[in-house]
Amino acid sequence: MKNRIKIVCFVFVVCFLSTTMTGCFDRRELDDLAYPIAIGLDKGDNNFLKLTLQLAVPTAIGTGEGGGGAGGSESISVTTVETPSIYSGLNMINTYLSKQINLSHAKVLVFSEDLAREGMNKYINAILRSREFRPNAFVLVARGKGAMAEKYIRSVKPELEANPAKYYELVLRAYRYTGFTADAQLVNFHHRMTSYDIQPVAVLAGVGTFESLGEIDAEESTFREKEREYPFEGDFKAGDMPKVGEVKSETMGLAVFKGARMVGEIDGEETIYYLMVSGEFGYTYMTLPDPINKDTFVILSVKQSRPPVKKVKMEGDKPVVSVKVKLEADILSIQSGINYESTDKVSVMEESAEEFIKSGIQRYLKRTAEELNSDMCGIGTNMKGKFLTWSDWEKFDWKSKYKDSTFDVSVDLKIRRPGLLVRSADTQIMEGEGK
Amino acid sequence: MESKITFGKTEAVSILIIGITTQLFLNFPRVMSESAGAAGWLLIIYVTVLTLILFTIIQKLYSRFEGKDILDIGETVGGGIGRVLIGVIYLVYYIFAVSITLREFGEDLKIIALTRSPISFVLLFFTVGMAIGAYYGIEPLGRLAAIVVPIVIVGFIIVLSGTVEYYDISHILPLMGTGPYNIFVNGATRISVFSGLSMLFLMAPFIGAHRNFKKVGLYGILISSFFLTIGTLIYLLSIPYPYSNEGFLPVYQLSRKIDYGRFFQRIESIFVIIWTMTALVYLSTVLFFITHLFKKTFSLKFYRPLVAPMTVIVFTLSLVPQSLMKAIELDTQVFRIFAWIVTFGITLLLLLIGTVVKRKKEGGVKREK
Repeated sequence: MKNRIKIVCFVFVVCFLSTTMTGCFDRRELDDLAYPIAIGLDKGDNNFLKLTLQLAVPTAIGTGEGGGGAGGSESISVTTVETPSIYSGLNMINTYLSKQINLSHAKVLVFSEDLAREGMNKYINAILRSREFRPNAFVLVARGKGAMAEKYIRSVKPELEANPAKYYELVLRAYRYTGFTADAQLVNFHHRMTSYDIQPVAVLAGVGTFESLGEIDAEESTFREKEREYPFEGDFKAGDMPKVGEVKSETMGLAVFKGARMVGEIDGEETIYYLMVSGEFGYTYMTLPDPINKDTFVILSVKQSRPPVKKVKMEGDKPVVSVKVKLEADILSIQSGINYESTDKVSVMEESAEEFIKSGIQRYLKRTAEELNSDMCGIGTNMKGKFLTWSDWEKFDWKSKYKDSTFDVSVDLKIRRPGLLVRSADTQIMEGEGK
Repeated sequence: MESKITFGKTEAVSILIIGITTQLFLNFPRVMSESAGAAGWLLIIYVTVLTLILFTIIQKLYSRFEGKDILDIGETVGGGIGRVLIGVIYLVYYIFAVSITLREFGEDLKIIALTRSPISFVLLFFTVGMAIGAYYGIEPLGRLAAIVVPIVIVGFIIVLSGTVEYYDISHILPLMGTGPYNIFVNGATRISVFSGLSMLFLMAPFIGAHRNFKKVGLYGILISSFFLTIGTLIYLLSIPYPYSNEGFLPVYQLSRKIDYGRFFQRIESIFVIIWTMTALVYLSTVLFFITHLFKKTFSLKFYRPLVAPMTVIVFTLSLVPQSLMKAIELDTQVFRIFAWIVTFGITLLLLLIGTVVKRKKEGGVKREK
């Protein structure tokens, strides 16, 4: 009898808890919720903000629709409202969407450049206070004047993915094998925003403007600033890439911040150097001028072999920063056919690559100090360790000193593998132009 | 009959670990960050050393009172009045602690999971759980703690090791944080971190010989200190100061950061499980001690009839703070600063007086002989 009572009590408790403790009090069914994947914030025309939500359409994702061609847009619905704040905007959208907005699957926060240059503090704080936002969401800045966040979000039409959330995850983690963007998670952005020793970055986003191959030009490329005759692959920022196709959305380069305010941009190549100095570099295919035959290129697959060693000391009131970057590379292509794989010539190629990267890093770091005045690589974290207490570190005021920094960069690059070819054939001999 | 209840050292140590480390799942790492900045972890090591010194003195004095709890010692010192006085002090102390903790657990669960449920509805489940636990008594609670502690440790390790990609040694620099004065002078009151040790003074009759008392206390302090230090250190390694002062539930926030590719993320569900398990054992144990204290203070025969009224009192008091901010303030600015007065101050004073009284009595008996 006692056992029977125990069993009845047990069953009752299990039923009671499983119905009350599983969120049923809230009566929010999964099917009744709408999940924005991307959230765009622009300056409003008639109000403070323009809020754009890119909503996933689960039924289209579930059936695998929208995976190819222009159909990519079918798994997405986009809506925009003018609103005084993010949450009031959500309230407004909830009045005309059939499902209640739930932000727990938001992957991307896109801020317009205008908003970013004004300062993102109030928006980031509001976002982080909500438990629905994921700290791992990516922060993007859409380049250009006007409502670029909305424009960028509306331009995102995944070609190869039915699932828009997966599209963002894959595209924004591609920096691991391109080096042209960086890990700009919301939580890290906020850490850096309040930090005394490192400054935030956000991924630059843009919308391609070229409709046909004939329209393509390199006017917006940064190659001239680097005194090059033609652009390399990293000499672009999002929106300026020389490409045509269905996918108009682009991510390339970084928006540089000081505190919560955007102070400038860096292009794809500088982003590679940012990753190398920060120690977050994965690998990339890098085009380098041939050290002997200047008209041709050598293409290397470069990766970081050791974390960078950064040291900083004060000489008077000026920081002297030394950065040692260790890389290794595999040969992908030698256009000239010169046998750089041979042990006597490999050092020529290595030294040339080291010099190319070294001057690039030097130029980039100098720019962060003199032009951008933003310690985005976190040199200050090395300086912080020289102080005993926080108040001493605060008084030192690293942020104001960084602009006077001088940089001593050394790059050590070792070519490890030649790919599947151990020797390059000199095609000039075959063509009768040799010897 | 109840006084014959005994349990092993493992159970007693487990209860102590839960009693001391529960705060780790609430706001402890943030409080340490607020107190000592990037050196919050250093502050715990410092207060552990202080606590070990105090505990060494306490256990030496306690050797004269083998198998006696703090109320028995109160009775030795001041007779029935002494017992009632100490009993009331400990009752107020425990009721305050458990009410605030209950409210914090409830509010936290409401924020992270049951957002639209009324706070009274959320608290009800904790309350029912703790009442059932307290009803069954200290022995099952000890055994439950011995089962729960390893599970919580595994979950805790998963959460902490999952954030390894965010560790940055520069986050715990400058090494002395907000300064040596804040750590070594102002930080001394933070021995209240180990206020859960007071449970040992009530468990003494259940764990037998004095050597068990000594071992349980020592292991309880050292293991708890290890997890408090590691938890705070990893929080500070992952979340740099001063941002580390902003986190609402530090360990929960750490678990939210875990993200290994597209498949291994949203690990906070593990946190919620280990968190509620800890809450259940902690709240039940403290509620049991409240009823036990009341029973013994006022020389009642049974504690079980007291479980329901005490639960109602605790539930009601937990709703007194008008907001979570107020509850957190009471916990961090009042309880976690002044709790040492009861755990260490009054206990030490009582033991010193008790030792003198006992010596006098023993001297008197010898002289009479």
